[in-house]
Amino acid sequence: MSTQHIAGKRLGDRLILLAVIVLALIWVAPLIWVFGLSFKPNAELMRHTNVLFSPPFTLKNYTDILGNSSVFRWILNSAIVSLGQTFLTLVLCSLAGYGFARTEFPGKKVLYIAVLAGLAVPEQAVVIPLHHIFADLDLHNTYSALILPRLAAPFGVFLMTQYFKAVPKDIEEAALMDNTPRWKIFWRVVLPLSVPAQATLGIFTFLNAWNDYLWPLISASKPEMYTLTLGLATTQGNFAQSEGIGFLMAQAVFAGLPIFVIYLFFQKYIVSAVAGTTVR
Amino acid sequence: MKLNDICKSLLACSVGVGALAAMPAHAEQTTITLARFFGACEADYGKVNDVTKAKGECGIITSLVNQFNATNKDGIVVKPEIAEWGPYYDQLTSRIVAHNVPTIAVMHQSVLGDFVSRKLVEPLDDGFKSVGINTADFTPQARHGVILGGKTYALPFDTWSWLWHLNTNILKKAGLTNADGSPILPKSPDELLAQAEKVKQATGKPYFAWTTANETAAPTRTFFTLVYQQNAQVFSADGRKISVHTAAATNALTLMNKLWTGGYIKKGLDYGATQQAFLNGDVAVDVVGNWTIDDFYTAAQKPDSALHDGYDVVPFANLYSKQAVFADGHSWVMIKGGAKSDKEKKAALTFMKFLWDHDFDWSRTGHLPANNTVVQSAQYKAMPFRNNIIDITRYGVSTPSNVPRQRAIEAIVGEEISSMMLSGKAIPAVEDAIETRVNTLLAGVK
Repeated sequence: MSTQHIAGKRLGDRLILLAVIVLALIWVAPLIWVFGLSFKPNAELMRHTNVLFSPPFTLKNYTDILGNSSVFRWILNSAIVSLGQTFLTLVLCSLAGYGFARTEFPGKKVLYIAVLAGLAVPEQAVVIPLHHIFADLDLHNTYSALILPRLAAPFGVFLMTQYFKAVPKDIEEAALMDNTPRWKIFWRVVLPLSVPAQATLGIFTFLNAWNDYLWPLISASKPEMYTLTLGLATTQGNFAQSEGIGFLMAQAVFAGLPIFVIYLFFQKYIVSAVAGTTVR
Repeated sequence: MKLNDICKSLLACSVGVGALAAMPAHAEQTTITLARFFGACEADYGKVNDVTKAKGECGIITSLVNQFNATNKDGIVVKPEIAEWGPYYDQLTSRIVAHNVPTIAVMHQSVLGDFVSRKLVEPLDDGFKSVGINTADFTPQARHGVILGGKTYALPFDTWSWLWHLNTNILKKAGLTNADGSPILPKSPDELLAQAEKVKQATGKPYFAWTTANETAAPTRTFFTLVYQQNAQVFSADGRKISVHTAAATNALTLMNKLWTGGYIKKGLDYGATQQAFLNGDVAVDVVGNWTIDDFYTAAQKPDSALHDGYDVVPFANLYSKQAVFADGHSWVMIKGGAKSDKEKKAALTFMKFLWDHDFDWSRTGHLPANNTVVQSAQYKAMPFRNNIIDITRYGVSTPSNVPRQRAIEAIVGEEISSMMLSGKAIPAVEDAIETRVNTLLAGVK
């Protein structure tokens, strides 16, 4: 390889790096702005929002959030709903995925297509029927109502099916020859192999559940059953976009903190999931 | 444990139970729920029981509830169920479907008709009589807003309207103030255009800030005001058809278009930016509702403010023959199924009476009182600028209560007017689109 070619490649790499840095800065700038404004007094932001780095600063927007006696209840609700959804989604999708990948039963293909067709149905299309079903069952304002509708996860079934299909059959066949029951093979052999896919699905499910706003808005009308996203939204005044900008920004930061922490711990899995691969 | 100790314990328990049983009946709690928006401000007002110490919509309603809970002698506990303002009515509807109905709910008068026509709201005439609320004390605008088909369906709490917030410092530079510093307001569309040009020439600033981005309510309220001032109406008598191929509607749209194309409206402003533009002295007039009076007045007290010694507020200037301005109001309703017993109903009415008696406190938010006694009180008139706008309680014009889906109509009309201003859509096309879209919507309402 010629020196000129190597130099050209280096220049190209640097230009790409520069472009990545610029794009990252463009992406992160609004987040920094949100974070900065969350420490500014609302009265000042009513006049200007381009005062990020100049005093005065205040913690009042955060103390206003924490001063609401319900906020920790809302965090607890979000945690219960998010963890509940994540756990049950993993259980259901793993079982369904294994069934579709490894077992034969009548109507399997039709059923699988039906599950995948669920990917094409927007959640808004089923909100009203869902609301009626849960109203008839008298389940609104319960954790069941907040968790159960989100367990229909065609993407999760698809992901787990594809993953289980990629696990070499030899491993299972050896166990089957030893007359090991299938559920035991699933539990002891296949499931441990699928941890990377489970992690990916689990993270996505948790993030979606934590950020969910539409369904909790419709199902939870009692403040004690609000999730964090919904609860924080109810604390906004009618003209918060003018009179409470700092408070809005603090809410965004506060609600996003758990997600940020999760990202820090699981970024390897999140990045690989977004890239379309699962970490093995 | 010795027998003696057991006997003592049993005796103590008996005394305790006996004491509980002997408590007066009124000490039993009756809990009622109050669905509302206006935000939550527990950190500042969660423990304030004296409403006179509260400010702003959230602070005052929170303190009113606290004060009622602390002072009422009937053992009534009002439990607020606060919802976000944007999806409030959708959530309320979903609660009704799910049989999880609040005892009392706040409701805009422009929305009340929809709920009444679906027979979801309790008439309150008898209930009001039983607690001493005299509907004759309702202001004319409030009466129009809450009395439908001869029955009273809600307790009016306020009237809010469409105002001109004025930077008289800018108007003065353009020679548009009197010797006493009061503003010279236009009395016709031509005068308005001339004044707007004067401001532009004298200061280089646009006359108006009104929200044209991410909002449809503002242009609709201006449009309706201009139509009403021509003694006209866009809705049919039965409320089921809109007609804007009329001289009044065309005049209104033409004026709005001239203001826009003439550069007399500051462009690209969403709601927050509109208020910023006014507070920073970028425009002479901010067209917005009552709720900003307090903020602007507070800003005007600061020496470094562009509004210092130069803030005034008036109703939307009368540009045509009839004194009129768009108005709406907040009210309190009892939705059917909300009060589970007569006792709860009585408790709800008692709380409503408390709110009615504190209409003055609510009027400190900038909203106009719905109670005539408050309107005429010296205490109310002593508040800044209230004398300028108080007559709106008399001549404010609401959209007729038999027009369903008023919020959706407001959005459609606003979208089309925005198209006219932002993308140059021709006025006849705007009128066609408003009629087609709104009448299709109205035709679909059962």
